[in-house]
Amino acid sequence: MNPLGEKYLRKNFLPFIFCPGCGDGQIVQAFLEAVDELGIIDDLALAAGIGCSAWIPVYVHADVLKILHGRAIPGAIGLKATKPSRKVVVFTGDGDGLAIGGLHLLHAARRNIDITVVMVNNQIYAMTGGQVAPSTQVGARTQTTPYGNLEKPLDGCKVAMAAGATMVSRWSTAHSKPLTHAFKAALNHKGFSYVEVISQCPVQTGRYILGSSAPQFIFQWIKDHCVQIEEPSKMEEIERQGKIPVGDFLKIEKPEFMEEVLKMNKALQEARAKGGPS
Amino acid sequence: MKGAQKIEIDRRYCKGCMLCRYVCRFEVYEPGQERSALDYLMPRVANLENCRVCGLCETHCPDMALHVVAEKKGGRK
Repeated sequence: MNPLGEKYLRKNFLPFIFCPGCGDGQIVQAFLEAVDELGIIDDLALAAGIGCSAWIPVYVHADVLKILHGRAIPGAIGLKATKPSRKVVVFTGDGDGLAIGGLHLLHAARRNIDITVVMVNNQIYAMTGGQVAPSTQVGARTQTTPYGNLEKPLDGCKVAMAAGATMVSRWSTAHSKPLTHAFKAALNHKGFSYVEVISQCPVQTGRYILGSSAPQFIFQWIKDHCVQIEEPSKMEEIERQGKIPVGDFLKIEKPEFMEEVLKMNKALQEARAKGGPS
Repeated sequence: MKGAQKIEIDRRYCKGCMLCRYVCRFEVYEPGQERSALDYLMPRVANLENCRVCGLCETHCPDMALHVVAEKKGGRK
């Protein structure tokens, strides 16, 4: 077994529940590599909702919170609020994070609370059997859109950027090294960081949308369709060509929510000690 | 040039997706006849001498079942 797995995985839960060729296992590995390089396994708290990708943290030997469908981010905010020195990471899928939990994403990004959201985007509701998801491309045939999808996909990176996230990246499972670097940057970043990972789902995306359930085929599809860009302004241009822009889109500094809360608490306590407003 | 001492494929976890074979540029792997503990046909290390220890197969294994052991010191431990 991979030495990272020997070191950080819960062996009694293995093998992974994921289907053969699923990208989630690669994300576990990239994440563990980032954690290993930073040496922060003891400070780590992971949260997840429901979905294939929500199984990722379950295998990691760290504190794990498994919450209701879509509510992973509120739980993670709770974890962060109770102990601000924790590194809190949320693993969520495109259904969990963009559909049912979409508003939680907006409001966590708006607060700029120091958590990391890893959004695993496989363009379909994979666990429930291949229904259309908010991230499904136009024209894709799924279980619930047998004549093609008419709805425009929701771009998680743009949503996060518009809502006020301070670090936004998108990579794919075919970019394992840049993905590890993005995880490292997100874990080090003070503020809301959003990392989207384009992942392969051979069983649902492969079978229904792309036409082949071979993991290699979808892996190559991801390689062919992901275009690395430096500037987020070029996103539109790449999307018009039917491709997926990947890269590190945003990294800025803004006041962090928990720090502001602690600052306010301190100021109020001082004011109260002086007999000021209570 | 770097070479591999051995490539371990953990038969407890391998699901035979063959992504290792696909990402390898040096044709180290080929489909094998042995079945893993989960009853999938596993890849076989056919040309170990071709391996350059680039680690692509290891980082792309979705089941974390692969481990490439480098020949000399300085490789991934």
